[in-house]
Amino acid sequence: MSLSKETLEAHLNDPAVLCCRRPAGTVLSAADFEDPTIFPDLVDSNLMTLKEGGLTIQQALGATLVNDGEALTQLTPDLLDGVKEVPAEEPADETSDDDGADDESEPCSCCASASVAPVAAPASDGYVHLHLDKAEGLDLVFPAGGAPVAGAPVPPSAPTSAPAPAEEPEPAEKVMRTLVKKDYPVTKVVIGDATSYADGVLTIDESLVEAAKKADPLVKDVEMTIIDPSDRHVYSNTIMDVIPVAAKAEGKLGEGVTNVLSGAVFVLTGMDEAGVQVHEFGSCEGYMDEKIRYGRPGCPDEGDIMIRVDVKIQEGTGMERRGPFAAHSAVDVIVHACREAIKNLDGVKPVKEETFRDVKRPGKPRVVLVKEIMGQGAMHDNLLVPTEPCGVKGGQKNVDLGNVPVVLSPNEVLDGGIHALACIGPATKEITRHFFREPMVEALQTDEELDLTGVVFIGSPQVNDEKTFVSERLGALIEAMEVDGAIVTTEGFGNNHIDFSENIAAIGSRGVPVVGVTFAAYQGQLVVGNKYMDAMIELNKDPEGFENEILADNTTTPEDAARAILMLKTKMAGIPIEPPEHKWDEAVIEANKKLVK
Amino acid sequence: MPTAFKLTTAKGLKSEIYVPWTPKPVWTPLTKPLSECKVAFITSGGIHKKDQTPFNTAGDWSYREIPSDTPSDQLMVTHGGFDNSDINKDVNAMLPIDRLRELVKEGFIGSLVPTFFGFMGGGGNVDKFEHVTGPEIAKKLKAEGADIVLATGGCGTCHRSCTLVLRCCEAAGMSTCIIAALPPIARQQGAPRITAPLVPIGSNAGEPNNPQMQMGILKDTLNAMEEFDHFGQMKALPYEYRHNV
Repeated sequence: MSLSKETLEAHLNDPAVLCCRRPAGTVLSAADFEDPTIFPDLVDSNLMTLKEGGLTIQQALGATLVNDGEALTQLTPDLLDGVKEVPAEEPADETSDDDGADDESEPCSCCASASVAPVAAPASDGYVHLHLDKAEGLDLVFPAGGAPVAGAPVPPSAPTSAPAPAEEPEPAEKVMRTLVKKDYPVTKVVIGDATSYADGVLTIDESLVEAAKKADPLVKDVEMTIIDPSDRHVYSNTIMDVIPVAAKAEGKLGEGVTNVLSGAVFVLTGMDEAGVQVHEFGSCEGYMDEKIRYGRPGCPDEGDIMIRVDVKIQEGTGMERRGPFAAHSAVDVIVHACREAIKNLDGVKPVKEETFRDVKRPGKPRVVLVKEIMGQGAMHDNLLVPTEPCGVKGGQKNVDLGNVPVVLSPNEVLDGGIHALACIGPATKEITRHFFREPMVEALQTDEELDLTGVVFIGSPQVNDEKTFVSERLGALIEAMEVDGAIVTTEGFGNNHIDFSENIAAIGSRGVPVVGVTFAAYQGQLVVGNKYMDAMIELNKDPEGFENEILADNTTTPEDAARAILMLKTKMAGIPIEPPEHKWDEAVIEANKKLVK
Repeated sequence: MPTAFKLTTAKGLKSEIYVPWTPKPVWTPLTKPLSECKVAFITSGGIHKKDQTPFNTAGDWSYREIPSDTPSDQLMVTHGGFDNSDINKDVNAMLPIDRLRELVKEGFIGSLVPTFFGFMGGGGNVDKFEHVTGPEIAKKLKAEGADIVLATGGCGTCHRSCTLVLRCCEAAGMSTCIIAALPPIARQQGAPRITAPLVPIGSNAGEPNNPQMQMGILKDTLNAMEEFDHFGQMKALPYEYRHNV
């Protein structure tokens, strides 16, 4: 692939290599040079070798080929007439305040160790940027007028994880909002005449099934079955969602008190009238003891009673947006009645209380979590911030919002702020319960070393130029948020990896350290990529690296979250992340796991 | 960055996922005028005849032979990677079989091969598409005398599977072009020629029931094939269709 005029600028100092066969007499311009970003791959695959003594693109530009040249020929002075004399590159400006992300030779402003004498000088941004060569997990940038200035005593080399000496007491944390989830146990679910919750027994009004059938004209039939954990060898249509019963007892979504039933969850399954499963990329119809990875954040837990609601929708609508939405509307009629039954549980003692706080931590590196969600119709849709936790009503569809980035507070996410219509294969989809206990959000929110600014949800649109549009809006948002680091996650694989790579580039190109998290492995190996995707976390759990059609198997676990956060902190501290193997390799993941304390 | 802080870090962390690289060029120049060319069409968008076994949407590297004289109402889609509603309205949105026959009638192209190929590229097994399905389809199309192989992708991994098969066709001596809804994937995977109308995945060959747009995309693609003179070129086509799902 030849270079465009735009990309030429970025590669003037890279080796000059012919992209294609060119005849003698060709005066070299951008279109004649191979793109240097793919050199490592070409070299690795023995398509090309790079020798010493080659010319840079800047030197070769405008020169004339003496003889015919084959594709991937490295240009040297003997092959060209009229090579330009370009002076040796000037040393990089130590105090430059440009973003520096494109140039590895330029010191970043965030690498510090005391093993060599520091170079420090006031920069135009009012800060002293202290640069030291080897990184030891310590990062110092301080106001020019503040205590340490160039020549001041250097702090001792900081061992991994040790605190840097703080000159001033840490600024106080500020709690923005508090959410308490009160857990009420369910030991038995029965179908009866009225919906109620008392003494651990959830009774569901049988007539709700009829009401659910009327939720949408596309709903043709609804069946409800209680599946006890002692007997899960029950055949089931494909699982579209797992939905906890959670109701606001006080306050709005993300704050106040949410009552949650523990020990029982709703499981939505479905097919159409013609017997086609309502699924996309793979289906998990089958025996429920085999087709669910129990205990994943999105799944039922080992001891959970499953309230299965099976919805039959109009023939041929399973892969159109209105079909799956009708099924979700139907199950919500039943779930909502259960919510009403637990809204007021005064006098009943919860078995557990969990407190979640949205905290601002001034003085700590500001980070953002970007979660890519699907937005292409059919099941590729999500309801943002419904009125009730994990509900349908009141939620805004990200497809209708044009898939632009929308910020939720961490508490809003953990309070059921996303009702997922759950696309993609069963193993990689993030379903409604997943967001209710999102492990990455939980870990970042409670991490006292970081200041989590928010969780950005960005859709993956259907059209390529819309993908670019939303990614560029994300970039502008990230720039405005002034974050020091970001984690980007995506469910699924395939075309959404275009968005994934563009989203990572939108952040990385602004000089913000970024870590990408996805399922790739064998079946989902990336279809596109860029240079900012150099710190990546693999979500695969399948031994063969496939979408194995087991519900939520390849989704984020607390262990994955811990690895991603460690990788982000390491990257923010300027410690290099080693490049990946050129194929999926489980050993790399295992080795990284061992580095998580 | 803040003034001073501590971060728990680790040395020796390794990135767990690699970024793909573009494979080596493969190229068969187009040497005949279009009006003398025998044209084939393949799609990884999950199209098959209604009486054929549907694809396994979790990933399937098998293919279906679609006679090029099949009436379009005998075709259907089985694909889990995108909204199917456009193809349900008009299969020509993915496999423009009616338009191709019209092109022959008009004399714009010489003829069609007897057999088109449908496969479901979503989640495709790269190894199988590259080493089994691709070479088999290429061999059959070559035997039927194809000069040109046109293709539509479908979803993201479909574009990858489709490109792998096209590369096999190109290597077997046919000139190929993908009509790409997701050109970045076709490009990264090494498609020899790419045209790119502004269309959503699911209607890669143009708006359903819009013969004029479908015809325009095909003709512009064929004309572009005469202009392309080396591997990896791409041309944006001036057609825009937004599907408000």
